[in-house]
Parts: sequence; structure tokens; C-alpha cells
Amino acid sequence: MEELPIIYIDKEELKEFCSQDLSEKEGISYEWEKEQVVHIKLNPSLHSFGRIGKVAFQRGDFPFPYGQSVPWIKDEFSYIVYVLDENTARVFEVVEGRLIEKKLYYIPSKDDLYSRSKGILEVNILESKRVMIVGLGSFGSQIAIELAKAGVGSFSLFDFDRIELHNLARHTCTIKDLGRLKTDAIYDAIVGKNPYAHVDKFPIDINKNIPLLNEEISKADIVICATDNNKSRFNISEELVKQQKLGIFGRAVTRAEGGDIFRYVPGGPCYCCLIGTEWYDTSAEEITNIGSGRRNGQIPAYVSDEDADAVVQVGLSSDIEPICNLMVKLTLMELSRGEDSGISCLEDELVYDYYMWANRRERRHVNWAPLPNAGNRPTILRWYGAYIKKVEDCPLCSHHIVLDEGEEYEAKLGEMTDMKDVD
Amino acid sequence: MMTPERLQAEKDVLKRKLPCYDYRFLDMETSKPYIVLPAKTNRGNIYTIRIELDEFPNEIPKAFVTKMLKTKLGKEMNDCSASMHTLTSEHGYTRICHYGYSSWTPMVSLYKIYVKCRLWLEMYELHLQTGHNMDYYLNHQE
Repeated sequence: MEELPIIYIDKEELKEFCSQDLSEKEGISYEWEKEQVVHIKLNPSLHSFGRIGKVAFQRGDFPFPYGQSVPWIKDEFSYIVYVLDENTARVFEVVEGRLIEKKLYYIPSKDDLYSRSKGILEVNILESKRVMIVGLGSFGSQIAIELAKAGVGSFSLFDFDRIELHNLARHTCTIKDLGRLKTDAIYDAIVGKNPYAHVDKFPIDINKNIPLLNEEISKADIVICATDNNKSRFNISEELVKQQKLGIFGRAVTRAEGGDIFRYVPGGPCYCCLIGTEWYDTSAEEITNIGSGRRNGQIPAYVSDEDADAVVQVGLSSDIEPICNLMVKLTLMELSRGEDSGISCLEDELVYDYYMWANRRERRHVNWAPLPNAGNRPTILRWYGAYIKKVEDCPLCSHHIVLDEGEEYEAKLGEMTDMKDVD
Repeated sequence: MMTPERLQAEKDVLKRKLPCYDYRFLDMETSKPYIVLPAKTNRGNIYTIRIELDEFPNEIPKAFVTKMLKTKLGKEMNDCSASMHTLTSEHGYTRICHYGYSSWTPMVSLYKIYVKCRLWLEMYELHLQTGHNMDYYLNHQE
């Protein structure tokens, strides 16, 4: 039978207490009401939960015989923690002036937190890596948390939006987060998985602060572009090329009937090279809400809200999950590249610039083969990779810029002289 | 914002395509740079096209005719109109809807935008002549 309450204490905070030359200090207990689960903290949590109580941290071992009434204990304290050293403590619940010892569980210190991943991922390497994530919607939020779980140590998060009702069905955040900045909510989610992660939050529109975007790209080992518009993708792509940094772009197509991923590797084709290839259909972009559709120009200004509502078609969270998952794997592989880890073998597999996935045989995938007996024909629920040709005169990534001069429109203009008398 | 290399490439195209035109890049050292180009229609009317460059080429630039045009019925062309290919006006100028989201790439030159605006002006004058909405002549951009 499990001993209740279950009490957790953070070893890093024991270390902190020991490092300070104090004999006692007041802390806080957070109790999940009616669940008999208590987390004891030396420092207040940024966002507290449950019932709050006072805790007395004391240096040294418990000086009284077990169960003895301790006259100096004030009723205002719920627990007394005796800190023996930075790895050991004893915790006592205060019950009517008496101290009853309880079993204590430890939240491991930084060195041990991701020890279970050792052998699969080079956790020490990931801890030193910095990932920049632009866009914390249904894609960016999941990717951020997965990377935190894998042990990535540093993040810069960009999103100017707040959590709204229409986000909840696919977002990692919950109804408790409604109204919060996505950067704040995902910060909490990351440090909830890895309390030692360093997270910088930028609740701004990157398209309106290009110098900051560029500065943060320079600090990052890899950039995840999980935005919903081409303007930001072009801006990020341009700077990735300039700074020769790795980047992963991902999106869902209409109703998340599928999705795709583009990986920029320095020296290779850029996002702009991808546009216009047979693989990439810009018009198939998923529009998740009217506000962002209008802001991005995907819904023209002259379209009424009623008509615009018809183009907002959102897929399921489970539809975008596979796309996020591959983005995470590509990121972890790139961050661990060249190191001897359990995912090194993926370097021989995930070699393509562009990856395509279909969830259902609809619209642009309607002619794909049914999953049973598909043979070599493209079908759903499988990844397909493609090499993208670097455009020699790409305006973003080549030194020789050749612009689209609109010859077809020039020709139309030439024909216009014949239309003077149109009636 | 354009890189110096991109700006030079744009100037090279304009110099080649519009050798006799007095176009000007203005406020280029500010956060709101723009270019103005003269446009003479087949009917001999002269307009000025203003293209704003603050987010060009990674975003569709705003393009204006530097006055408030009126429809054949005398209504100011100051709001979004699918049938007339306009967007909400700014600066008191009629704003031309010249590109759609999914068609835009950073490869598009200022010259191409100018040509599309010239076409729009031709259609506008046809509208004044015939009363047909401009939609009658122009396809919508995706």
C-alpha cells in the first residue's frame, strides 16, 4: 500500500539551501487537494497550484525523539524539512503540534534528470544546444515540449498570440491557459518537463522585428519555423541562408489532410527554391482561423466573414502529430549529427530536403492509391522524401539574382492597344 | 527590407525596361521606403504608381495610384472590392489589389508589379468607358 501523502522535494533546492549559510528558511508546500500529493519548495513556484502551506527548512537532523510534541512548532507550518546534506532530507508533517515523519521522494538534480535517455540520445550534447521555435501553435507547442523531453537545454520562443478557444482542440495548452501568451504557456510546459532548461520568450511578431529575429537566429543551433504564413518563412529562410544555419519548416495542408516538411541545410536549396516546384502547393495552406487568414492575406480583405468561415477548415490533432513527430526527429538528428548516439543511423535515412505526408485520400491526394495493396504507388500514412533542386538564380540563396519580370503581363499590356474601342 | 544586392537588381531591371521613365526610390534610409513610377495609359492619361517597400520582397508590397480614383458612377475607390480589384485605401490613395497570397514569391520584381498596375489602369479606363466592373476583364489572383 502506497504511503500517503506522497511528498516530493527538489534536490536542486536542497543543494541551494546547503550552499547558503543558513540554519533555517521558510518554504512553501503545494498540495493537490483531495489527492494527497504535496510538492515542497524552497522558492515559490512561478505559477502555483493547489492548496498552499508553510514549510520550515532546518539545517541538520531531527533533534527530538519520534512522535514527541515539539512546543516551538507553530501551527502555521504544515511541514518541517530537516536537511541533512544536499542529497538527503527528512520531512515531517505537523499534526496538532506533533511531528509525524513521512516518506520523501526526490525530484532528481540536473545531472540525473535525463539519465534514462542516455544511450538513445546524447543528452549532454542536447543540453548545450539552443533551438529557436517561431510559432507556438499546434505544431510549435508540441515540438517544443518534445524537444524539452529529449533534453534540449536552451530555447528561444517566438509567438505574439494568446491562447484562444479555437486553439484548444489541437494545442498542448489547456483551458486553464486561455488568454495567456503562448510564449508564457509553453515556457511553463518546457520547464515542467525540464526545470533546468533555459528559455527566452519573445511575444512579438518576427516580421516586425527583423534585427531581433536575426540576432536570435545567430544564437541558435537550429531554427524551427512553425508559422502559418509565407512572409515569416521567407524572412527566416533569408536569414538562415545568410547565417548558414539549419532550419526545419513544417505545415499542414487544408484540413490537415496531409502536410509537409522542408529542411534547410546550409549550402542546399532554400525555402524559396521549394516554392514553384511540383511538390509544393502554396495555395493548399491550412487556414486555422479567420483572424490569422486575414492577417496573412490568405483570406482577401473583400471576402466577408461568412464566406471566410467556409475556408477555415482545421484538421485533427492526430493528423498533425506525425508531421510534428518527424520535425522533432529531424531536429534531434541534426543536433546530434556526428555524435555516436542511438539515432545516428537516421543520418543515412533522413537525407531528403522535403518530406510529404498524407492522412486521407482527399483533394490533392484523391488520386493516391488506397493503403491496401498500394505497392509502389503513393498512398496515405507514409512518408515520402524528395531532393529539391537548388535554383541557380534564386533571389534568396544565390549570388546571381534573376527576377521575375512578368513577361506574360507585358504581353497582355501590349495587346491592350487593340482594346481601345472595346464597348 | 531589400538587401543592397536586391535593390541593385531591381534598378537594373527598371533601367533596362523603362529607360526613359523618371521613377524614384524615396525614403530609402527610413523604415518606410517606397518607389514612385509614372504610368501613361494607352488613352494617354498619366498616373503615378506608388509601391511601398518596407516588407518587400518577402511580403506582397502595397501598391497605390497616388490619388483617389472614382468609379464611372462617381463613387470613390477607397475600400475593398472584389469586383474592382481594390483594397482599403491609405494616404488618400486608391490601393490596387495586384497579387494574391499564394502567388507571391520573393522572385517577383518591382517591374512586374508595375506592369500589373499598368494593366489595372487600362482596365480601370475600360470600366470608365463601358461601365463593366473590372472583374469583367481581370482574373482574380490566388
